[in-house]
Amino acid sequence: MSKAIVCNNLSASYDKAMKHPVIKDINMSIETGESVCILGSNGSGKSTLLKAIIGIIPCSGQVLINGQDVSKMTRKEIAGNVAFMTQLSQVYFSYSVLETVILGRYLHMPHFFGKPTEKDVAIAEDALRKVGMEKLSDRQIGSLSGGELQRVFLARTFAQESNILFLDEPTNHLDLKVVSELSEYLDEWRKTPGHTLVGVYHDISLALALSDRGIFVKEGRIIGEESAKAIMDSEILKETYDFDVYKYLKNRENMIQF
Amino acid sequence: MKKIGISTKVALVSAFVVFSIIISIGAGSVSVRPGDVVAIIGNKLFGIPLRNAIEESIISIVWDIRMPRVFSAFAVGAMLSMSGAVMQSLLQNPLASSYTLGVSSGASLGAAIIIVTEISVPILGLFLLPVTGFAFGLATVLIVIFFSSRLDSNLRNHTIILFGMVLSLFVNAILTMLSAYFSQHIQRLTLWTMGTFSGRKWIHVALLMGFFVVGLIALLAFHRDMDLLNFGEEQALAMGVDTKKVKFILLILSSMLTGASVCFTGIIGFIDLTVPHVARKIFGSSHGMLIPMSALLGGGFMALADLLARTVLAPREIPVGAITALVGAPFFLWVYLGGRKKV
Repeated sequence: MSKAIVCNNLSASYDKAMKHPVIKDINMSIETGESVCILGSNGSGKSTLLKAIIGIIPCSGQVLINGQDVSKMTRKEIAGNVAFMTQLSQVYFSYSVLETVILGRYLHMPHFFGKPTEKDVAIAEDALRKVGMEKLSDRQIGSLSGGELQRVFLARTFAQESNILFLDEPTNHLDLKVVSELSEYLDEWRKTPGHTLVGVYHDISLALALSDRGIFVKEGRIIGEESAKAIMDSEILKETYDFDVYKYLKNRENMIQF
Repeated sequence: MKKIGISTKVALVSAFVVFSIIISIGAGSVSVRPGDVVAIIGNKLFGIPLRNAIEESIISIVWDIRMPRVFSAFAVGAMLSMSGAVMQSLLQNPLASSYTLGVSSGASLGAAIIIVTEISVPILGLFLLPVTGFAFGLATVLIVIFFSSRLDSNLRNHTIILFGMVLSLFVNAILTMLSAYFSQHIQRLTLWTMGTFSGRKWIHVALLMGFFVVGLIALLAFHRDMDLLNFGEEQALAMGVDTKKVKFILLILSSMLTGASVCFTGIIGFIDLTVPHVARKIFGSSHGMLIPMSALLGGGFMALADLLARTVLAPREIPVGAITALVGAPFFLWVYLGGRKKV
């Protein structure tokens, strides 16, 4: 099987001099077609790891994406391999839903004065259908709810047509209904052959539902990994969060049953 | 909300521009009818014979005095508005403009140095002042970018804005000291910084229009990059935008647009801040549309502002910057406070 992602001694920091590395000496690999979740407590370096892999923050070490060295790739080449959905953020200026999703086609459009082709528009509309937003394609994104906006951003990520998808806490601040819908779209996407999903999730049950394997990060280092099925009972889960997650979830389940 | 098609909106804005240009050419101490204005332009440009006799002096007023002035105002308004639209998107800050980066303070300092030292360079002649102003304005922005990138390798927005404002204030302080020390020049210094379109000639129009057209085309080449930057820098990077390069190019381009405006006309505020917001309300944020429409709206507004500046208290002239600020300040508050309510 080919490797989608390989990291060799990857360290990354938010300062150029790398004085305060947030992640340190990461060695890991992710197979093509695999779905992986990165688990760790707040500030452990999960999101930083995703950003470091695609080289959008200062880092050292080596990263291979689909066998190519990231340091030798252009931004467009990287984006052609990996689509990255960052955390839901404030949007200052408003675009229509369709305009937003078409922007996902950026790397496929000719640079100068690029107008979207019919194909770009068709792919964007198809992406909107996949997240159930096709009826709102003329709406301004400023008028959408958080859940709708995140679905639009997911459609934009799909429209990029990269085979590796990075998600950084895609369901933060969203209602359970939206979370369940988003996870359905994502589950469908990841089950398509050749699609690799790497996610950082706030919600452990969502992480397990969308992953084959979990990688545990603590204080910027990988402290272990486990198949999704075995994660819940593993000691490493407790160690990662300094907290008995399994017991907590069990207790919560019991409370609901009362 | 009523749905008006995009082409109707473009047509309306274009009509507004034509209207404001013709009205501005016609109105003034000597009033010329719009029909005559059109006839004179047709005659001069296309050799269409004038049907009714229009006095030679009227033709001269329209062609040699009013038109250069109005078109200078149009070009400056257009350039400032485009520059403002770019800066707001680039720095993801609805209040940003190239003035934030010290273009105007730098240009004023350059002009002040020429004024107080009374240097003259024969080759440049009357253009010494604008050329120096332009060079200083651009140099200030380059210093801001250089130090911001040294401080912050990712050239993040808040670093640029903060450093731009600090340098701007610093340069302004030097300017104040110069004005205080060389008080005999204070009137010329003040006039220069206030901004006016008085006495503009076709050569100015040609230069300004050159900057405007080149700037417009260059900016349009980056319209998608700017759209993506609106969604945050990390997201733009992840979607394939080489943000550092794009930001550098766009900062220079939009500073050049502001620099060219400031060096020929002085500092005119508020247009660059407010017009892009109006354009966004009408046309949305997509830069393929936003940039040219900001240019048209800004040009039209500036022509009208200049019209007010020279007619309201005629024969005295009000600095056009005062007009744009008088209208712009309340408008800005309205947009800002209105925008906050939504959040």
